[in-house]
Amino acid sequence: MSPILEITDLRTEIRLRESTVHAVDGISLTVNPGECLGIVGESGSGKSMTALSIMRLLPQGGYITGGTVMLDGTNITTLPEDKMPAIRGNAVSMVFQDPMTSLNPTMRIGDQIAESVRIHRGASKQQAMARAIEVLGLVGMPRPAERVSNYPHQLSGGMRQRVMIAMALACEPKLLIADEPTTALDVTIQKQILELIDSLRERLGMAVILVTHDLGVIAGHTDRVAVMYAGQIAEATDTITLFTKPRHPYTEALFESLPDQAGAELTRLYNIPGMPPDLTAPPAGCRFAARCRYAQDKCRQLDPELITDAGTSHEYRCFFPVAPGTLEEHTKALKTPASVLAARAAGDTLLQLDRLVKNYSVTAGAVLQRKIGDVSAVADVSFKIPKGTTFGLVGESGCGKTTIGKLIVGLEKASGGSILFAGDDLSAMPRRERKRTAAKIQLMFQDSYAAMDPRMRVGTILREPMVIQGIGSRGEQQRRINEILDEVGLPSSAAERYPHEFSGGQRQRLGLARALMLKPDLIVADEPVSALDVSIQAQVLNLMQDLQREHELTYLFISHDLSVVRYMSDTIGVMYLGKLVEVGPAEEVYLTPVHPYTKGLIDTVPIADPTAEHRKESEGVRGELPSAIDPPSGCRFRTRCPYAQDVCAAQEPELRPFSPSGHRAACHFPLRQPSTGADHQVPSGSIA
Amino acid sequence: MTAIVEPVSPPAGTAPGKPRSLARRGLDVFLENKLAIVGLVVLVLIAAFSFIGPFFYHTDQIHTNLAMENLPPGGDHPLGTDSSGYDVLGRMMIAGRSSLEVGLAAAILATLVGTVWGAVAGYFGGLLDTAMMRIVDAGLSIPTLFLALVVVAMFQPSKLELIGVIAITSWLTTSRLIRGEALTLRTRDYVSAMKVMGGGGRRAVFRHIAPNAVGTIVVNATFQVADAILTVVALSYLGLGIQSPDTDWGGMLNSGINNIYNDYWWQVYPAGLCIVLVVISFNFIGDALRDAFEVRLQRR
Amino acid sequence: MTGFFIRRLLQAIVVLLLVTMIVFILLRSIPGNVAVAILGPNAYRNPAAIAQFNAQYGFDKPWYSQYLLWLGHLLRGDLGYSWNLNQSVASLLGSHLPKTVALVGISTVIALIIAIPIGLWQAVRRNKPVDYAFTSISFLFYAAPSFFVGTVLILLFADRWQIFDAEAPQGGLWECLTDWKAMTLPVVTLTLVTFALFSRYMRSAVLDNIAEDYVRTARAKGVPRRRELLRHVLRNSLIPIATLLGLSLPGIMAGALITESVFNFQGMGYLFYQQAQKQDYPTLLGIVIVIAVATVVGSLIADILYAILDPRVRYVSS
Repeated sequence: MSPILEITDLRTEIRLRESTVHAVDGISLTVNPGECLGIVGESGSGKSMTALSIMRLLPQGGYITGGTVMLDGTNITTLPEDKMPAIRGNAVSMVFQDPMTSLNPTMRIGDQIAESVRIHRGASKQQAMARAIEVLGLVGMPRPAERVSNYPHQLSGGMRQRVMIAMALACEPKLLIADEPTTALDVTIQKQILELIDSLRERLGMAVILVTHDLGVIAGHTDRVAVMYAGQIAEATDTITLFTKPRHPYTEALFESLPDQAGAELTRLYNIPGMPPDLTAPPAGCRFAARCRYAQDKCRQLDPELITDAGTSHEYRCFFPVAPGTLEEHTKALKTPASVLAARAAGDTLLQLDRLVKNYSVTAGAVLQRKIGDVSAVADVSFKIPKGTTFGLVGESGCGKTTIGKLIVGLEKASGGSILFAGDDLSAMPRRERKRTAAKIQLMFQDSYAAMDPRMRVGTILREPMVIQGIGSRGEQQRRINEILDEVGLPSSAAERYPHEFSGGQRQRLGLARALMLKPDLIVADEPVSALDVSIQAQVLNLMQDLQREHELTYLFISHDLSVVRYMSDTIGVMYLGKLVEVGPAEEVYLTPVHPYTKGLIDTVPIADPTAEHRKESEGVRGELPSAIDPPSGCRFRTRCPYAQDVCAAQEPELRPFSPSGHRAACHFPLRQPSTGADHQVPSGSIA
Repeated sequence: MTAIVEPVSPPAGTAPGKPRSLARRGLDVFLENKLAIVGLVVLVLIAAFSFIGPFFYHTDQIHTNLAMENLPPGGDHPLGTDSSGYDVLGRMMIAGRSSLEVGLAAAILATLVGTVWGAVAGYFGGLLDTAMMRIVDAGLSIPTLFLALVVVAMFQPSKLELIGVIAITSWLTTSRLIRGEALTLRTRDYVSAMKVMGGGGRRAVFRHIAPNAVGTIVVNATFQVADAILTVVALSYLGLGIQSPDTDWGGMLNSGINNIYNDYWWQVYPAGLCIVLVVISFNFIGDALRDAFEVRLQRR
Repeated sequence: MTGFFIRRLLQAIVVLLLVTMIVFILLRSIPGNVAVAILGPNAYRNPAAIAQFNAQYGFDKPWYSQYLLWLGHLLRGDLGYSWNLNQSVASLLGSHLPKTVALVGISTVIALIIAIPIGLWQAVRRNKPVDYAFTSISFLFYAAPSFFVGTVLILLFADRWQIFDAEAPQGGLWECLTDWKAMTLPVVTLTLVTFALFSRYMRSAVLDNIAEDYVRTARAKGVPRRRELLRHVLRNSLIPIATLLGLSLPGIMAGALITESVFNFQGMGYLFYQQAQKQDYPTLLGIVIVIAVATVVGSLIADILYAILDPRVRYVSS
C-alpha cells in the first residue's frame, strides 16, 4: 500500500522584517490511506506550519525552502501556484481551529459547501446544493435541507465546526488535515467533533492528520504520533508505544508535566525548565538540550539524527534516549498529604457563599429599553472554602464560574445572597472597609498581559496595589517588589522592563506576584494556566502550590480543565448553567461522581492514556448548552441528561449529602445512593 | 510619553535585550518611516520660511502699489507681484503664518473640546452618553464649511475669532473617536485589576485610561491640523476668511484666480503648492505616529 | 429587525430636531435686529413690516414658542423668504438643488467606479510600486483643496489646451446633463477629491478582509485567486461602503460648494456662497437645513441598507 502523503526533509521559513524563522526544519512524515496521524507539539513547534505547508497556504512571508511533499504521487512543492486550487479541497482538505472566524459571514453555509463541489466537480447549482445537503447530513447537522440557507452566525460553535468539516469533505478528499479542530470549543462539544472525525474517517476511508497541542486528544483518536519540538520531529511512533515507552526525554518530560497522572498519584508535576529556543537562530546542538535533564556536552554541540529502534518504526532524535519502561522511576516530591488536607478542611472557614445569585438583565425595545428577561448567570450557589485550601470550580463556558469569581473580588454586584469573608459580609461593608478588605482578596487573570497597563514598567505595576492601599514608604515598597519577584522566580531587573518583554509563563508569574504584593489571604485564580503550553503550565501550577504552602494561601481555582482542577484542588465544585450541581473532596468527586453531569464531564475530558481513552464506555455529555436567558425548569441539566424523567422538569433538586466527608450533589437520580450517615431522600414524582 | 505614572530609574546601558523605554521604541518606529521624516522636514522648512523668513526678506505687505501690479518673477521680485502690487514671495510668508497659526490653534482647541466631550460621554455612559452623542450626530450632519460660512458671514471675525469658529465646527469627529476609545479602555482587564486592588474611578481615569488614550488623541490632533488648515484656506478662498491686508494661502489663491486667464501662474501655483505640502506632511506624520503608538505596545 | 429600524428612525428624528435647534440658535444669534436681518435693510423704512414679521414668528413671545412657531413653518415646507433674491427659499432650492444633486451624484458614482477596483488592486499589490503610486495620488488629492485642483484643471484644460470650458453650464438641469464640454471639469474636480477618500477606504477594507480566516478557508477548498477576491473579499469589503457613503455626504457637499464656486456652477453650493457674501440669512439657513436633513436621511438609509446587506445584522433580533 503506497502512502497517501510522503513528506521528505521539508523546510519552511517565515521571513520577517529583520529575521527569518526556521519554522519547519527538515521534517519527514508518511501518512497511509485510512490512517490517522497525530502531530503534537507546543505553540511555536512548527506543527501548524507543517500542516499549512502541505496545503501551501503559508501566511505572508512563509516559503517552502526545501524538501518534497508527495501527495498521492504528485510533488506539490514544485507545482505552479495556479495548479494548487485544483488540489486543495479536492485531494486534500483542511479544517481550521476557529469555526467562528473561518466561515464567510455573508455567505449562506449551503453556498459555501456547494462552492467547492462546483469548482472541483463542475456540478450545476442544483447538483452542488444537493451534495451540500447530503454532506451536512453526514456530519450530523439536524434538518440539513433547511440549514443550508442559514448564515454562519446563526449556528453555534460546534455546528459551525460541523459545517467546516462538511465543506472539507464535500469532494471526498483522500486526506483531511485538522489543525486544532476543537481547541476553540468546549470539552463536551470537542468530544462530539472528534468522534465525528473518527467515524467519517472509517466510513469514507480517508486519511487524517490531526494537529493538536493536547496529548489527551492524541491518545484517544490517532494511530500514530509525531511529537514536534522547535521545528523538528523529536519522536514518532504508534500511539500506544509513545504513551507507554517514550524514548525522547522531551516526550517523557511532557507526560510528567501533565496533571492527569500526577493528580491520580498526588505527585508533584515535573518542571521542564526554561522555554523553547528562538527559531530565528536555532541552537547548534540538540534543540531540547538546554531544557533536558539528561543533556551532556555532546548534546549541546551536535544535532542528533533521527534513529529508528531495530525492528520497529519507533523514531526519535536523541543521543541518550530514555530506556523503555523507566517512566515511573523518577521520584517525585509528594503533593500535600491527605492527612494535612483533612486537618485543613476542618479549620476556619475563610470564604463562604450563601445563596449567591447574579442575574444580568437583557433589554430590548425601540425607545425605552424595557427588560425582556434575565440571564441567570449564578443561581443560588452556596459553598465554603476553609482557610489554606484550594477550592476548584469547574464547568463549561457560560456556567457562571467566572461570574462567581468577579462577585467575590467585587467586580460585579450580586443580585441576591451574600459573600462572607472571614465572617464579614462583603456587600454590607462600608466603602472604606471594603477597600481595606480588597487587599486580602486578590484576582489572578487568565491573560495577565491584558491585565497589566502596557505603558507601565513592571515595577510600577507591582507597586500599584501598595500605592492604592497606602502601604509602606517607597523604600519598603521597593523591598517588597524585590522580595516578591524573587519568590516567583524572576530577577529583580524585571522591575525595569515592560510587560510586553516577557513570555506567557513569565507574565503569569508577574500576575501572581502582583496578586501577592498585599499578602492576601484569598486568591481567585480565573483560568490561570489555560493559555499556557503544558510545560509552562506545570511551572506555574507548581509555583502556585509552593506559594500556598509558604503563605497559607487560600485559592479559588476556576478552570474548565477538569484534570488541572483535580490536581490543584482539595475540594471541587462542579457548575452547570449557573447552578452548583456537585461539590465535595476532589478525589471523591473525580473518582465516584454522583451527578450525571459530573460523570459525563469526566468521561468527556480526553486524558493522555490511550488504553484508558479507549476503555471509556460512557458517551460523555451530549447535545449543546441551553440558553441561560430562559433556563430549563426544574433541574437545569435535564435537557442533556440520559436519566432525566418528568420529575426533573417539575422539581428542582436540592444539594444533598452523599458522604460524611461533605460530598453533596443536586440530582433526583444520582449515580449512587448516599452512604451511611447521610439523610436519605427519595425523589417524589408527585407532580408527574 | 511622559504620562507614565512614577519615574523609574533608567536602565543601565542599552545593550541588546536591555529594556528600552516606550518613548524610545515609538521614536524608532517613527524614524523608520521615511515619509514621516520628509513630512517633518517639509513642515520645519515651511514654518521657518513663514515665521523667520520675513526677518530676512523685507517687503511691504500693507500698502497696495498698483504701479507694481502683476509683475512676472524676476529682478526685485523672485516670484513676481500680485494684482495689488504685493511681492508674492513676501506675501507667501505672511500668508503661511496665518494659515499655520489659525490651523494649529483651531486644531488644538478642537482636540481639547472634543476630547473632554468624548471622554465624559464614554466614561459615564448611559443616558448622558446618548444625549451627548446625539448632539454630536446633529453637528456632524451639517458640513463644517457651511456652518463656518454662516457664522463667518454673520460676524466677520478677526483671526482669533476665526480660530474659535473653526474649532467649534470641527471638534465633533474627535469627540466621537475619543468616546469610542474611552468605552474600550474602560473595560480593559488592567482597569479591572486596579479595581480589585481597591482603586477608584479617579485613579482609573488619570493613571490608566488617559495615558493610554494619549496616542489616539495626538494622532487625531495631527489630522485635525491638516483639516483645519484646509478649512481656513477654503474660507479665505471664498473671501470670508482672513481679511486684507492680512492674508493666507487661500486668500492668495482667491486673488490669483481672478487673473487666471492672464497666465499669471506665479499667483496660483506657489500658494497652492504650499497648502498641498503642508497638508500632506501633517497626514504623513499622523500616519507614522499612529504606527509608532501601536507598534511600541505590541508583544514581540 | 423591525426593532432596529424603529430605534434607528427615532434616533434620526431626535438628531433632526437637534439640527433645527442648532439652526434656530444661529438664527437667534444674528447680530442686530433679526427682523431687519431677515427682511433686508429696506425694512427699516417699514416698521409695520417688522411688527408683522415679529408677530408672525412670535418674536414678541418667549424663545420656546418662537422655536415652535419656526419649527411649524419648517414642517409646512416654509424655509423662509430671500429678500435679496426676492424669492422664497423653497423655490430657490427648487431651481438649484437638482443641479447639485446631478453634480454630486455623477461624481460620486464615477469616484466609486474608479476607487473600488483601484483600492482592491492596491491591497493585492500591497507595498508594491502600484500601491505606492496610488497612495501618493490619493494623498495628493486629499491634501489639495478642491479649489486648487479646479483652478489647475481650468488653467490646463480650458486655458492652455482649450479642450473643455472653464465655466459650468449656465442653463437648466438638462443642459447640465448634456453639455459635457462645460460639465466635465466640475465633475472631474469633485470626482478627484472624493476618489481619494474612497480608494483609501477600499484599500484598508480589502486588506482587513484578505487577512481574515474565512479567506484562508476559501483557498483551502480550492477557490481560485480571482474568485477568492471577487466572491469573498470584495463582497465583504463592499458592504460597509453603504455606511461610508452616508457618513461622507457632508464632506462631499462641502467639496461641491467649492467646486460650484470655482466653476460658477449654478447649484446650491454656489447659491450658498453667493448669499453668504450678501448675508442673506434665510437662504443660508434654509440650505443648511436641507443639507442636514439630507445627511441624516442619507445615513439612515445607509444604515438600513447595511443591515439588509449584512446578514449578521439582519438576523440579530429575528
